[in-house]
Amino acid sequence: MTAGSARTPRGPTFRARFGHAVPYLLLAPGLFWLVVFYVIPAVQMFTYSISTGSLETGFEMSLTGDAYATAIDRFGKQFMNSILFGGAATLLTLAIGFPVAYTIAFRGGRYKNLILFLVIAPFFTSFLIRTISWKILLGDEGPLLAPLRHGLGFLDNDWLLIGHGAVIDGRFSLLNTPISQLAGLTYNFLPFMILPLYVALEKIDPRLIEAAEDLFANRAAAFRRVTLPLALPGVFAGSLLTFIPAMGDYINAELLGNPGTRMIGNVIQNRLLVQNDYPVGSALSFMLMAGILVAVAVYARALGTEQLTG
Amino acid sequence: MSEQPQSFSHDLTRRRFIQGSAMAGVAAFIAACTGTRASAPPASAPASTAPVASSSVAPSVAPSPSVAASPKVVSGPLKFANWPAYIDLAGAAGEAGEYSPGSSPSLEEFQKQFKVKVDYQEKIGDNATFVETIKPALVGGLATGWDLMVLTDWMASKVVANGWAEKIDQTNVPNCTGNIRDALKGQAWDATNDYHYPWQSGMTGVGFNAKTLKDNGIAEPTKIADLWNIPPDKMTFLTEARDTFGLVLLKLGVDANGETVTEQQLKDAAAAIQPLVDGGLRFTGNEYLESFAQKKVWAAFVWSGDLASSGGDDDKFIFPEEGTLIWTDNMLIPKGAANRYTAELMMNYVYDPKIAAQIANYIYYVSPVKGADEEIKKLDPEAATNPLLFPTPETVAKQHNFQSLSEEMEKIMNDLYSTLSGT
Repeated sequence: MTAGSARTPRGPTFRARFGHAVPYLLLAPGLFWLVVFYVIPAVQMFTYSISTGSLETGFEMSLTGDAYATAIDRFGKQFMNSILFGGAATLLTLAIGFPVAYTIAFRGGRYKNLILFLVIAPFFTSFLIRTISWKILLGDEGPLLAPLRHGLGFLDNDWLLIGHGAVIDGRFSLLNTPISQLAGLTYNFLPFMILPLYVALEKIDPRLIEAAEDLFANRAAAFRRVTLPLALPGVFAGSLLTFIPAMGDYINAELLGNPGTRMIGNVIQNRLLVQNDYPVGSALSFMLMAGILVAVAVYARALGTEQLTG
Repeated sequence: MSEQPQSFSHDLTRRRFIQGSAMAGVAAFIAACTGTRASAPPASAPASTAPVASSSVAPSVAPSPSVAASPKVVSGPLKFANWPAYIDLAGAAGEAGEYSPGSSPSLEEFQKQFKVKVDYQEKIGDNATFVETIKPALVGGLATGWDLMVLTDWMASKVVANGWAEKIDQTNVPNCTGNIRDALKGQAWDATNDYHYPWQSGMTGVGFNAKTLKDNGIAEPTKIADLWNIPPDKMTFLTEARDTFGLVLLKLGVDANGETVTEQQLKDAAAAIQPLVDGGLRFTGNEYLESFAQKKVWAAFVWSGDLASSGGDDDKFIFPEEGTLIWTDNMLIPKGAANRYTAELMMNYVYDPKIAAQIANYIYYVSPVKGADEEIKKLDPEAATNPLLFPTPETVAKQHNFQSLSEEMEKIMNDLYSTLSGT
């Protein structure tokens, strides 16, 4: 008793003095990380983007927007490619991922964990290897095209073709076309869509759907009016996790695309690492960041923010 | 790559290092104990070199800061970065045209002779991309993870100018000093061969697959201009902008001379390439060999020996009528290399005319070694008439050197190239 009463005055004092700081202390490691590895580099990058000079002579802050002018002037096409490929990959992963996530969540049963494992299993292989393997799959003499080209005689028998050379002729390629690039992007980011969707769908109480079906809806209406709205946070999270990295990706464009399909990530990589053109590279990075922020804001507004935190 | 026994001593060192620090955390002690070499670096050094090393086997020894002369102790494994199709091969690797450990007779002989492992990797597809992987280490004064690398004149000169190469101890390389061909001596960027010795010389010209062209009713090209009649999505040009622009200048009837080229000429070349890019032309490094193997390209800008040594039966190389580009690839020891003496031994070894002949006669490039010619003819009498190994006077007359562009022209060319390649 005496020991307890001796301690009590110290407890409240400590709490009164430092209690309010606890949340900040808990945040400190994360904030430290953010400041050191994000804020400082971002500020430095912005400084570079309004500088002129070269690696040899050094960069001097000149407060000009030249780098931004060059970036917009010369690389509009690559920005466009990023939006198109990033957007298309997001839509495709959604189209492929939703049924998968739905099946795992509602029909997975005791195989749920196994299927989830299979979804992320490819991630045990390096990103690069996974992308390179698409080169083999889609190659002119790969497992997909070679049979079409030789085995089934599509090439030699005119009667198999819908009009001569219309389906697949000797020139037809998949690799290094927009198709292969989109395929690679979609494949590489698919798990980022499936997992958040699964989490959102898994949380849905099946009784809500039953109730809807009992009370007013057929299955399609129940899906549209109950399941889908409740899955929206997953759709939102999945699209962000897919769209943002897909937009900045350069590996897929580099390995599976051609010069006409290069994305802004390729330009940034080239400017910063090969040409050592820091101002333009930084300006491009900044514009990409700003573009993504705007896109996300618009998207969040369109879906309705209050629903998105789940 | 790293599972070969040659990395045994490194693995042991690293494993013990990790175990040691995990158990006791007395990292300095562990590093001092496990390092087989005399000068144990600060304990943090092995860890700090690991992320910058481009290879899978990180060097366990930090650069010994400017030791006057490398001790004459053979150490290894010798980390040797080279281009694909650039070493003699035997057996299955020869069929596949791709190096795998144990497949190169000359490297095997070296390993036997000096009792040291050679970790030879075909890591260089083009100069800029490779140097990009070691640049952070070089700028930061750290070991690159390589002991020997092979770079083309223009890039080798930059590496030397930046102080990124180790000085060669000439007393260790008597074969090199004695046997380097006179024509290759006295390069402006390293006149006394303090930092480099040539590996091979070669030419850039046109390669094609005769069968696919025939199947598609296209005549075999005899000149660069003929490539404009081939579907561009079935062709590749080179990521080495010098090679691509040089050949297109020749096509345009302009002398591809690095010293006299003008901005307008470079722009004209880019304008000539642009329609091909719009039609699907791609740019590649030495990976064009894969594209040929997969019949993905019908024709391409290629380097002279590659298709002869590593291509299929239908893959042909021609010296285009307009001319070819000539260049030399050079052996350099990157700054901070852990096994400098062994690297020098390797330089000396490949300058033995017999070995030089063995390599050149396999890879079909022009050997920089005096006396190799005679040895090649002894090895293979037919080779004496092979224009890849012994370019004819007509070919030599049409060789152009597009290596030494001024900084200004290089910048313009790189800029034009980056627009063409979409970056």
